[in-house]
Amino acid sequence: MTDRSHSPRNPIVGTAQGFGVTFKQIFKKPITQQYPEYKRPLYPRWRGRHRLWRHENGLEKCVGCSLCAAACPADCIRVVPAENTPDNRVSAGERYARIYEINMSRCIFCGYCELACPFDAITLGNEFEISEYARDDLIYTKDMLLAEPIKQVPVADPELYDTPIPYYKTHS
Amino acid sequence: MPELVTLTIDDREVQVPKGTGLVETAMGAGIEIPVFCYEPRLGPAVGACRMCLVEIEGMPKLQAGCTMTAQDGLVVRTAATSDKAAQGQNATLEFLLLNHPLDCPVCDKGGECPLQDLTFRYGPGTTRMVFPKRTFDKPIPISPTIALDRERCILCYRCTRFSEGVAEDHQLVPRNRGAQTLITTFEEEPYRAPFSGNVIELCPVGALTSTQYRFEARPWEIQNVPTVCTMCPVGCNVTVTTREGKVKRILSRNHPEVDQGWLCDKGRFAFSHLRAEDRVTQPLRRVRRRGFATISWEEALDETERVLRGAGGRIVTALSGSETIEHAYGLAKLLRTGLGAHSAVLPEETDVAIDAFRLPLSAIRGAELIVVVGDDPVAERAPVVDLWLKLARRGGAEVVTIGAAGSVLTAPGSAAQTCRELAGSGSELGRRLRESERAILIWSSPGGHGGAEIAALAGELGFAGKPGSGAFHLPATPNGRGVADAWAAASDDEGPNPEPIAVLVVSGDEAASDPHVRALAERAETVIAIVMFERVALGWADLVLPGTSYLERDGTAMNLEGRLQRLRRAAIPPVADELSWLSQLAARFGVDVSPYPAPVFEELAGTVYGGLTLGELGERAALAERAQIPAPAPDPDTEPARPSDGHYLNLLPYRPLFAGAAVERVPELQFQRPAAEVELSWDDAQRRGISSGDEVLVRSNGTSATLRARLNRRLLPGVVRIADEHARDLHATVEVTKP
Repeated sequence: MTDRSHSPRNPIVGTAQGFGVTFKQIFKKPITQQYPEYKRPLYPRWRGRHRLWRHENGLEKCVGCSLCAAACPADCIRVVPAENTPDNRVSAGERYARIYEINMSRCIFCGYCELACPFDAITLGNEFEISEYARDDLIYTKDMLLAEPIKQVPVADPELYDTPIPYYKTHS
Repeated sequence: MPELVTLTIDDREVQVPKGTGLVETAMGAGIEIPVFCYEPRLGPAVGACRMCLVEIEGMPKLQAGCTMTAQDGLVVRTAATSDKAAQGQNATLEFLLLNHPLDCPVCDKGGECPLQDLTFRYGPGTTRMVFPKRTFDKPIPISPTIALDRERCILCYRCTRFSEGVAEDHQLVPRNRGAQTLITTFEEEPYRAPFSGNVIELCPVGALTSTQYRFEARPWEIQNVPTVCTMCPVGCNVTVTTREGKVKRILSRNHPEVDQGWLCDKGRFAFSHLRAEDRVTQPLRRVRRRGFATISWEEALDETERVLRGAGGRIVTALSGSETIEHAYGLAKLLRTGLGAHSAVLPEETDVAIDAFRLPLSAIRGAELIVVVGDDPVAERAPVVDLWLKLARRGGAEVVTIGAAGSVLTAPGSAAQTCRELAGSGSELGRRLRESERAILIWSSPGGHGGAEIAALAGELGFAGKPGSGAFHLPATPNGRGVADAWAAASDDEGPNPEPIAVLVVSGDEAASDPHVRALAERAETVIAIVMFERVALGWADLVLPGTSYLERDGTAMNLEGRLQRLRRAAIPPVADELSWLSQLAARFGVDVSPYPAPVFEELAGTVYGGLTLGELGERAALAERAQIPAPAPDPDTEPARPSDGHYLNLLPYRPLFAGAAVERVPELQFQRPAAEVELSWDDAQRRGISSGDEVLVRSNGTSATLRARLNRRLLPGVVRIADEHARDLHATVEVTKP
């Protein structure tokens, strides 16, 4: 086995080769993107801000089972369930999440909550622009999670999501 | 020594006493035979669930392991080594899951469910069931505390066996047959029994769940705190489940010598009094008449100091007997050494002489003759003792109850006299007690010197030399013995009873609800009440300091056996802990009281409990050795009630189990409280033409109450029993008439 880092080589040749790489870049078009004026479309599988979903009839999919909270490695989900009553039917099952909070400042966007959910009630969306001026504002309540995200981001065509050539190599 | 047998389980040789159950035998060898229905505390195995299937050499088919006992030369193969057994268990689980709804995400048992756990390990990963599952209405509240989901039930019959064979209330029964079998109560009546909550814990699936814990928490979100229940003098070991700092449920924690893993409904469900809407969270001071204003702690301590200093030692203290030993000692030290106030209303006395006949409660199971002396049913005073008595009776022991509603009828209030009769030479029962090696005496009557009386009787009968015989006194308060010890340990001085009383210090809600203490308060110039609930103290106390519950305290308590047990704080109280402000207040009087229970206990244990440390108490406290104390001389005669003349009846008020300030604040337990009823003997009812359920007027000297009549065939004629919350102002003799 040869260890190239210790092989005897002419240092001048090596230096010239290295600077050669730098030199070649001078004649290439830069790929700097002017964020936030320009938003590069994301991969469809990008894991961003969470979203809670409703059934088509308007009932919440979440039944407040806390499995997402159990799966969460960052311990950022808090669920307090309550019982559905005929007057107050929120979800399809016997129980619903009275409180559903995600602390976005702790979340590591691993997507385990999505995997743990037995009712596909929670998914991770693509939105990543969720910085706030106060930490308290990073605790997302159930109403926030059920609503459409305010700041949308462009998402690449899912058709392209398995392409071997990275998108930015052919554009911009 | 029983005969030992050798058998082979999974190629491993095991030696156990003959007759040991196969499940226990395997468990002793570290081999698991999974079970659902098997529970040795419920009596003989029934083999209902078929989960325990094992292969036994020489038998053509798989056998239910739980129904087998260890025999010499048995060769057993569990699912670990036998494919046939593994297949059998897999098929059993597939059958059990046929109609099981698989709603684990919304089920309260999910995460701590034996059916889930065993399916993961022994069951199929998928179902082949394509037909609609059996459905029932759900959930059905079989009582305000228990919800029943029949779809989840796997028909292990644990709950019905408990109801029939342990609590003996015979209320929960299986109805119909086959797949349509369902657990129900008769006529859809609520399951009203003092031990009903145990079925929740016995249920191996989520079929029987607590309504209080319904959807409150999941097993991975909770903390469990091992502590001791001090709602009654038994001191059952419990595990308190908390989530986000709030108590969510209470489970039993098996102490084989105290409670055997059973818990009464009062201990299990009464915890929500912690969140009562009238909980005192700030010190209150009376301003002008009938008005109260919240004050800061600083003001409260100043005010208390001012009042106590101004009293000049003319202070009387009323203790509840529900305080921890440390709390009582802190209070006693402040008042006795700091202020020289030695006068106290102590909880019902248990004479130390009974320690010479000390036994664990589990000894009741092995006894052959048990005599219960007194008018109160054991279940009302110390509920779990009643389960021990039932266990003993099923095991063939003779249980004799002597009282106004016992198997031997005596006039009310004559328990002390009964003791003397038993000690005398003419009594046949006394002779048998003397001869028996395993006899137990239990005092279950209010007031008087019960502990001394029963200890004197036990001494007379020669129980001191018989390690299998002993005596119990069932006191009215949970920690009366510990509180009395603490009070006595604080000072050796004595003082005269102050007259007039300058300050009355009332510690705890039980003392504050006591009519005698209220009467004393009438004579006191200032009343300081340390209570949890506003309504208990408002209107008569001048200064209200917030109290805490046993679930919010660290400390120790002594139960009726004389066993010191450790309480641990399960929830942080919404108010300052008593010991913390007692310590600050004591410092103002130059008395040194630590704000932490451990040093207080250390100080106290050095003088009273022979240097016992908290570490030695552990999670399951051991019972101390029998003490060598000479039996006391019986006290001067107490007057039993005069026999009724037929027209006037003797009133026998009793304190029901489901009573008290805490139970009153738990909405789910209201159905357990006694109805407004008067219990009449058969003869008295006949003579008055009263039948069960009639409205009757109970009258005595100027007061009267309209109650429903209930006939009690076991009651002594000439006696009526009324729960004391309904008896109220009625005198000792009453007239009962139809209105």
